[in-house]
Amino acid sequence: MKMGRILLACLLLASMLTACGNNGENAGKVKLEFFQNKPEAKGSFDKLVAKFNASHPGIQVTQVNPPDAETVLKTRVVKNDIPDVIGMGATDTYSILAQSDIFADLTQSKLVESIDPNYIKMLKDVTGLSKITGIPYATNANGIMYNKDIFKKLGLSVPKTWDELIATAQKVKDSGIIPFYFTYKDDWQTNLPFNALAPNLVGIDFFKQRRENQVTFQEKFREVAEKQLKLLDYGHGDNFGKTYADGNRAFARGESAMYIQGSWAIPEIRKSNPNANIGFFPFPTGNDPDKNKLISGVDTLLTISESTKHKKEAEEFIAFLLEPDNIGQYIKEQTAFSAVKGVTQDDPAVAELQPYFKAGRVVDFADHYIPAAVQLNSIVQGFLQNRNIDAYLKTLDTEWDKVQSRK
Amino acid sequence: MRTKTNWAVMILIALGTLLILFPLYMTLTIALKNPEEMTRSVFAIPTTFHWENFSNAVKMTNFFRAFRNSALVTISTVVLTLLTNSLVAYAIARNMHRKFFKGLYFYFISAMFIPFPIIMLPIVKLASALHMTNLVGLTILHTVYALAFNVFVYVGYIRSIPAALEEAATVDGATTWGTFWRIIFPLMAPINATVGILICLSTYNDFLLPLIIISDQSSYTLPLVQYIFQGQFNTDYNLAFASYLMAMLPMIIIYLFAQKWIINGVTQGAVK
Amino acid sequence: MSKRLTAFYWMTVPAVVLFFVFMTLPALQGIYYSFTNWNGFGKHYDFIGFRNYANLFTDSNVGNAYLFTFKFAIVVTILINVLSLLIALGLNARIKARNFFRGIYFLPNILSVLIVGYIFNYLFSNVFTIWGQNLGIHAFSTNILGNENLAWIGVVIVAVWQGIAFNTILYLAGLQTIPASLYEASNLDGASRWQEFWRITFPLISPFFTINMVLAMKNSLMVFDQIVALTNGGPGRATQSISHLIYIGGFQGGEFAYQSANSVIYFIVIAIISILQLKFLQGRESDM
Repeated sequence: MKMGRILLACLLLASMLTACGNNGENAGKVKLEFFQNKPEAKGSFDKLVAKFNASHPGIQVTQVNPPDAETVLKTRVVKNDIPDVIGMGATDTYSILAQSDIFADLTQSKLVESIDPNYIKMLKDVTGLSKITGIPYATNANGIMYNKDIFKKLGLSVPKTWDELIATAQKVKDSGIIPFYFTYKDDWQTNLPFNALAPNLVGIDFFKQRRENQVTFQEKFREVAEKQLKLLDYGHGDNFGKTYADGNRAFARGESAMYIQGSWAIPEIRKSNPNANIGFFPFPTGNDPDKNKLISGVDTLLTISESTKHKKEAEEFIAFLLEPDNIGQYIKEQTAFSAVKGVTQDDPAVAELQPYFKAGRVVDFADHYIPAAVQLNSIVQGFLQNRNIDAYLKTLDTEWDKVQSRK
Repeated sequence: MRTKTNWAVMILIALGTLLILFPLYMTLTIALKNPEEMTRSVFAIPTTFHWENFSNAVKMTNFFRAFRNSALVTISTVVLTLLTNSLVAYAIARNMHRKFFKGLYFYFISAMFIPFPIIMLPIVKLASALHMTNLVGLTILHTVYALAFNVFVYVGYIRSIPAALEEAATVDGATTWGTFWRIIFPLMAPINATVGILICLSTYNDFLLPLIIISDQSSYTLPLVQYIFQGQFNTDYNLAFASYLMAMLPMIIIYLFAQKWIINGVTQGAVK
Repeated sequence: MSKRLTAFYWMTVPAVVLFFVFMTLPALQGIYYSFTNWNGFGKHYDFIGFRNYANLFTDSNVGNAYLFTFKFAIVVTILINVLSLLIALGLNARIKARNFFRGIYFLPNILSVLIVGYIFNYLFSNVFTIWGQNLGIHAFSTNILGNENLAWIGVVIVAVWQGIAFNTILYLAGLQTIPASLYEASNLDGASRWQEFWRITFPLISPFFTINMVLAMKNSLMVFDQIVALTNGGPGRATQSISHLIYIGGFQGGEFAYQSANSVIYFIVIAIISILQLKFLQGRESDM
């Protein structure tokens, strides 16, 4: 009996604690929820959101950045509680959500005007829809980072072709330094060479044809697979034991000459070593340097929920983020690139990529065109372990077919 | 006869505890170091204590808010579970000869085998329709899901309590409810301790249910906020470990003070 | 007496209703979806009969996940039970500071599986490798979680490290129920330690053996948090458990309906195994 009374007291106490959690300020304002999935961009968006709230007294934007954001976003869709404004990558999840008519149609919106049409087209290719449901915001680049000090010490120059790349890696290896710091404990990292090799050697059109069953991986991807394997000769002792976070620290400390990575890693590398002297060149996939394109995808796109009650305010917020000053600040902090025309990234670390952006010599990540259910990451990670090219290509085909047949 | 200490066994047991303690020792020392000290030696005791790891982690995860949320959900779930689940189990245990109650028993415990992912999306849908995507909803769901295991544990225990006690009370004119609260519930103290501790641990440490149920980030519990260190974009192990340690600390502290009581609680219920 | 019965009904009815609404109904919905091609959040889906189930049986990823899960569960169940029984015997022997040691062995049980996994993940990659290098053992000088053939051992280590705690305490409780007089009698008979264990100790703690086996087996068949924290199912699919496959495929892969079908099969498998185990072990208990 005494126990029962104690328990009741606890319950009362608990309910009292919950009750005092509410606050009554911000009444009368339009509240917008801004959901975005990049944990490392939280700080940058916090600043922009604060600036927006200060200059727009009628609107109160709150940023939400949950763990496992894509899963949470899907559960939010199931809850019919879709955030007003969403920032996410141009991934397969985006594509599925767009196809489910969850996002507002922005084809006629003024927001589109300032955006580089290349990236608008990329989104259309990813979703397969003719309408525009997302505004490309920040873009990224996938290539090879290199340690300028090590290159200088060994008298190396930036490789322009695949053969030069391998020769460079060999020289680095001969000098006793790690050529590439692979971080293949994380399966998504094993994909980076694939994402660069496939669009350049095979082409993005392959995936459209694959959907129509006109081509197979087994016919077209042998060279990609061979090159994926070749790179492994130039790793370190524990390629599959190190994570992305380990790699950023190791590369920052100059433990390897090169690092196959995306531009998103630069802020992390600088966190570990602010003075890291790094350069960044596009992945040379073949032996004709003029044909080689830089891999660049939409890192963050902004989109509005179809069901929001505040479409006007949501557009106002996106327009604010697209203002050259604001996106300029964002891409500077994130070492990203701007989808807004005329806003450039002046960071010296990525200077070598600028000509590619200027000439429009960019092509999207391959995995944006592969259904998530295929689980490309684990297939590639498995392949790099067992090194069986035939089995790898066959798995890609069978998994693709299986996923198609389940639809 | 059995008074001489068996030193060989004791040494083995002591060595075994090193295996248990080593990861915790590493957690503690890493949480107190900074990256430079880590590169010097991973194992050594830190030369200077970097308490700022903890204050930074508190800021990054909004620790106290998350702690408050975790504490609220855990305390309410434990209380609610003890009061409700025991009652249900009592009714079942005393009527196992009736088809309806026997059926109920198997109905509840069969749910122990339902894989969570299958009910995940339907539950999310339901919870949002009922406006339960908050801490209160989370508490209710935890309590309901606890039934499966608890009915199993409670029923076994209650059946070992002789029915004669209640019969006497009934003869004296006590109602069934009164009998339960005045006679049975106090007798269930050992098993209540067992259930309470287990529910407390599982609720406090749960990740998946709060992740999908809680919509509002200000209601996040401790395990959820740890995730920022696990994302693809963190390189600061020291900060992460400081935060892990803080998330585990409340339970460790409670354990240090109530260790005997907790272990006895867990075992007493089981021995019956 | 009937008033008493009415009260009993009232004690259970609210719980039954809540349980039905929050557990059974969602489960039935899940079963319903397993006959559709719903991706988990779209507005449209079609009814496709048993096609998901038929596809399951030809999906090598599903077979692979079942194989891993069973291998894992059997090894973990055996290791946990053997080790925790040994520790319990040690703790029950004539040693000093018994409560102190007992307290330490139970400690892992109060910690979050996920956080323990994060900590071990770091140890595997940055600490154990140093030992491997110093000792010159090649297989252990690299992170075993990154090795297709060894990664599952890493998951086993973490599961056992944490799983021992609870079972040890239960075994110890069992051992303490055995009256000392029984041992004294067998000492007089001149029985060896080994005989003593098999003739007296083990039969008397066999109810604890049953419950420990069933619990360890069920927990390891449902392994999820450790996988998420340690390997995320990798390298490749080398450590993908069934729960992990259902979660990843159903949510990240957008194949909710297909993985719901997988869950239904999985539920049936776990239920059958647990019932068989209970039947077998309890039958054995009564034989003794």
